[in-house]
Amino acid sequence: MKNVTAALGRSREALKKLLPAEDILTFDFRSENGISFSCIFADPITDKQLLGEEVIRPLSRYKGEAKAEEVASKVTSPEIKREKSLEKLAAEVLAGNPVLLFEGMDEAVVAGTKKVFTRAIAEPSTDVAVKGPREGFIEDLKTNTSLIRRRFKTGELQIDTVEIGRRSKTCVSVCYLEGTSVQKTVEEVKKKLSEIDIDAVPDSSYLTHFLSSRPYSLVKQVGTTEKPDIFCAKIAEGRVGILVDGSPIALTVPYLLVEDFQSSEDYFVPPYRATFTRLLRLFAVVVAIYLPAFYVAAQLFKLQLFPVKLLLTIAGSIRDIPFSPSLEMLLVLLVLEVLNEASIRMPKYVGMALSVVGALVLGETAVSAGFVSTPAIIIIAFSGIGLYAVPNLIEQTSVLRLAMLLVAGSVGPYGIILATAFLLYYLVSTENFSAPLLAPFAPLTGRDLRDSVLKYNLGSLETRPRTLKSPNRRRLS
Amino acid sequence: MRKFLKTLPMKLYLLLLAAVLFSFFSNDFGLVDIQKTAIILAAGVDKTENGFLLTAQIAVPKGSDRTTGGTSSVEIEAEGKTVSDCVTSIYSKTGWVPKLVFCDLIVLGEETAKSDVISHLNYFLRNEYMPDSCLVAVCEGSAKELLSSTSALADASSLAIEQLFSDAAQKSGKVMPNTLKEFAIGYYGVSKSSYLPFLRMADQEGAENAASGSSSGGEGTEPQKIYTAEETAIFSEGRMVGLLSPEETLLFSMLEGKVFAGTLSAEREGEPVTLTVLKNDGSVSLKGEDAPKAVLSVSLVVRLCCRGVTAPIADVSDDSVPKEVLESAASALKEHAAALFEHAKSAGCDLFNLKRTLYRTSPKRYAKWKDLLPGAAEVALDVSVSSKK
Amino acid sequence: MNKISTRQLYFLLACIMPAGKLLLLPTRLAEAAGNDLLFPAAACYLLEAGAVFCVLLLAERNTSLYDLLRERVGKVAAGILLALLSLFLLFAALLPLMEQRLFVQSIFYDTLPSLAAFAPFFLFAAYLCAKPLFSLGRMWDLLAPVAIAGLLGILVLSVGSAKFGALLPVGAGGGRGFLKGSAAAACWFFDAPLLLPMLGHIDAKKGTAWRGALFYLAGGGAILFYLAVFYAIYAETAVNQLFAFANTSKYFAGITVLGRIDYLFIFALALVMAFYAALPLQASVGCWTQTFRAKPLPVLLSVLFSALFFALLSLLDLRFGDVMDCISGTLFWIFPAMSAGLPLLLLLLLWRPRRA
Repeated sequence: MKNVTAALGRSREALKKLLPAEDILTFDFRSENGISFSCIFADPITDKQLLGEEVIRPLSRYKGEAKAEEVASKVTSPEIKREKSLEKLAAEVLAGNPVLLFEGMDEAVVAGTKKVFTRAIAEPSTDVAVKGPREGFIEDLKTNTSLIRRRFKTGELQIDTVEIGRRSKTCVSVCYLEGTSVQKTVEEVKKKLSEIDIDAVPDSSYLTHFLSSRPYSLVKQVGTTEKPDIFCAKIAEGRVGILVDGSPIALTVPYLLVEDFQSSEDYFVPPYRATFTRLLRLFAVVVAIYLPAFYVAAQLFKLQLFPVKLLLTIAGSIRDIPFSPSLEMLLVLLVLEVLNEASIRMPKYVGMALSVVGALVLGETAVSAGFVSTPAIIIIAFSGIGLYAVPNLIEQTSVLRLAMLLVAGSVGPYGIILATAFLLYYLVSTENFSAPLLAPFAPLTGRDLRDSVLKYNLGSLETRPRTLKSPNRRRLS
Repeated sequence: MRKFLKTLPMKLYLLLLAAVLFSFFSNDFGLVDIQKTAIILAAGVDKTENGFLLTAQIAVPKGSDRTTGGTSSVEIEAEGKTVSDCVTSIYSKTGWVPKLVFCDLIVLGEETAKSDVISHLNYFLRNEYMPDSCLVAVCEGSAKELLSSTSALADASSLAIEQLFSDAAQKSGKVMPNTLKEFAIGYYGVSKSSYLPFLRMADQEGAENAASGSSSGGEGTEPQKIYTAEETAIFSEGRMVGLLSPEETLLFSMLEGKVFAGTLSAEREGEPVTLTVLKNDGSVSLKGEDAPKAVLSVSLVVRLCCRGVTAPIADVSDDSVPKEVLESAASALKEHAAALFEHAKSAGCDLFNLKRTLYRTSPKRYAKWKDLLPGAAEVALDVSVSSKK
Repeated sequence: MNKISTRQLYFLLACIMPAGKLLLLPTRLAEAAGNDLLFPAAACYLLEAGAVFCVLLLAERNTSLYDLLRERVGKVAAGILLALLSLFLLFAALLPLMEQRLFVQSIFYDTLPSLAAFAPFFLFAAYLCAKPLFSLGRMWDLLAPVAIAGLLGILVLSVGSAKFGALLPVGAGGGRGFLKGSAAAACWFFDAPLLLPMLGHIDAKKGTAWRGALFYLAGGGAILFYLAVFYAIYAETAVNQLFAFANTSKYFAGITVLGRIDYLFIFALALVMAFYAALPLQASVGCWTQTFRAKPLPVLLSVLFSALFFALLSLLDLRFGDVMDCISGTLFWIFPAMSAGLPLLLLLLLWRPRRA
């Protein structure tokens, strides 16, 4: 049996067969004129108070005929729908919406009384802004879409929702501005999402694999943000946004590498300050990746990279170190990574102890004991700080730092240059949703440079980025 | 096959990673890292009966903290038929690979400088790892003695000597430093002449080798040394052919227009007066239609620094120079200039690159006079000393 | 669309190609022409700019070289001509690769490293050759500012030590010096043939040809200025200065205080040079891929050519002088013949004015 029948008992049995779990409950009741109803709901995710007030109470006083439209009109819940397919009804129950079956009708009524578990809207810890909005996305899709809708009071904002996950049936919303986003990109996103055949989607990061043109690539190809203001700004530029129920991290495509060097605050401070901080972020990342590598390469292959006085200081400090310069640096780097990993996962009350162990025991004592040298620790500390200047790229930059260190320790300075050439060439040939990753630098798009690592004042940003090929180019008259 | 091709890039990446890891941990492309290196700060070359004696001053780092910071040095000597042999010998003696990339000073012994020094410097000049911007100097006696001496002022003798050639010292006009590159340009140019500063060392009275940085030298009673380079050795065809006095060196500096903060001595009523040079222009040009005539021009703006006579307190801030002092200074300069020119000419050194100037500006006259210069050149002096307005 | 824009082409001509002339060309010119080194270099640049102009006139037809030739001389002859061009490009690649290897050995290492230290370059070259041309075009967008900053930085730090009087007297070497210098420099000038396999991939418009030639000359101007600074710094000792571009800036007064900050510029130029040195291999692969359009061909040829050159460099590791004498002394005439003669010939053979 695939559809609801007029025989209440048979329909209820069929639905229960589809939903054998113990937390799927059935509540039977009668209306004043004697019509039998069966309410089937998922206990943990249904708001039973709402169910009682908006569905069961009005229906228990129902005196009309057993017709689906009439029954539906008596239910006071704002989300009501009628459905015949048992499979779809089962899905609704699992989504938290109770299903009402009643005697003599081959159609059921679904009421939207899902229990919503939400935390308060708070500032995301990974994207803190001194100036500007402090709202962050939360795990609830509806709250998240409301945060976006509040910022776009226009009918052009489209939020198309699909379900992904054979078992999780996770709601995924595709958000874009009609007439501003490229239709081809919207369709490509929807197509890629519809082709996903996966068991469950616990978080939006699961989708990035399917949205990337090079899924195994080290580099990111989908933008992420936890802030609705950034998400909206990207949509307003012509990008397509993706929200996933249960995830506070929203995705945006097409993604350009330069996005991660921008912060929402850049738009709330004077342009010269924003340009300076963006350049600083770029410098910090470059230093973070290359500093340990060049330090090792210089010691092993090209002493001249140091000024003579610095060289003699370094030579003095490494004199009794038992490891080669490359191995020493690798060890210090690994220790830093372990400390970093542990400090993130460790309960907060142990955090202080870890700092003491990290700073004093491992740092000070290791130097005193002659295991590692002071310059190596300084270099790694500086590199570690630089990495966090662009938190969205940490996964990539920390791997690159390690790779550069390995290359520097094995091939030397020229190895670093070749690895950079490899990396750049790889990056320029990467594109996703028809947008080159390194735009607006490669290919060079002069006008888009105004909001890249440079930041012109708002009056100069009269058009949307050319790279995104928006059909509606002008954003400021 | 398709599956193989699909996974091929990943396999290649893994292979590459394995290769990088292997070379990282095996760490051997014939590399000589910082821990196996002897960082040579200075090299001294002395000619011996059997060839050369090379004295390499090698930096020995003390440590990185504040209390033990600084650089001490050790001098290693090696003999060989060529300079290159000597360097190899240092390697075999110490087990450290000698690296010249930080060598900022080459000192030639007095006797060594009397033979064609380019044949000794050739090794350094051709060595691609040796900076040709390094300073070269000649010293009294042997280079070994000089470099092995204990400086009263710095951790290593070479550091104290390099200090003598600092920019500030050059502006005083008291020294005329030269680099390996410039010396070679002079040697290989049409003039075939150049110059090098001449180093002397003297005992620092009252100071003994107690806690100085150098670990070389004797057993603690050797006196500490101070160094001077106020004289200049002049070279023709690579051989040292003369030594300019401190006054001639100062005038040479002035002709090059390098003096900006030097002092000049003059006389007033038989008493010495010191003038400070505020501005210096100098040039040497070649004139004459039938015979070469060198014009040496020096123009100075000076102010009074130290009076020769007692002056009332109201005159202390007055730094204008009386006319007679200016005339006395100009006359002294003329005398030194004439002596300098004659000295160089008689030694056969084209110190002012007259041949080169002629070659570049007038090839016809060069063809006519190239064999006459510098010996047949007359000199005209144009010296002006004026007071600060 | 596997296309490169005219902007990217101009960047290649004005910024990337000059980087390949910085390694041993100044020394060779100083050796052959002495203080008159600017004149043979200028002559080579003028000749090559003319050849670039011819190639870019053909580019305005927006058809690949193979298709142009096929229309005119048939499939077989077109294939043979492209194979010859490919062989020439491989021949021309030898000297830049060898000087690149020596440059790396001399500038990036304090002690002589083994060839293994240079081996990763061939991995990079294989990767570069296997990628479509549009990636290379984008790379030129990135490399152009890097090249400009590198060369400008070195020039700014070097020019203070230059005594331009060293360039006098003009014409001291006479006609013989000029001819000797031109012959010695010829093997560094094969930029026009590098563009031939790109025909059909250049988004050429009317005026691209003369603009391209002007951009090429602008890059040449920068190199001539560098040559002047180089000779003005080293004068008579210039003949002994290998890879001088990595050394001319070290005489800058600030270097003694800050250390070798000029290495930043040297590293920037070395990055550009890595791409330039692989360009002849890429062009050579391009010749074959437009003749036989099989999909795995670029990858296979890239690996093959890179492996071939690695083997060749291993064999000739200590014979650079002989190779240099052979190429720039005995076989130098091949370069003007192929880099200037061939484009002119092709233009005469293939050019048709655009229809209105």
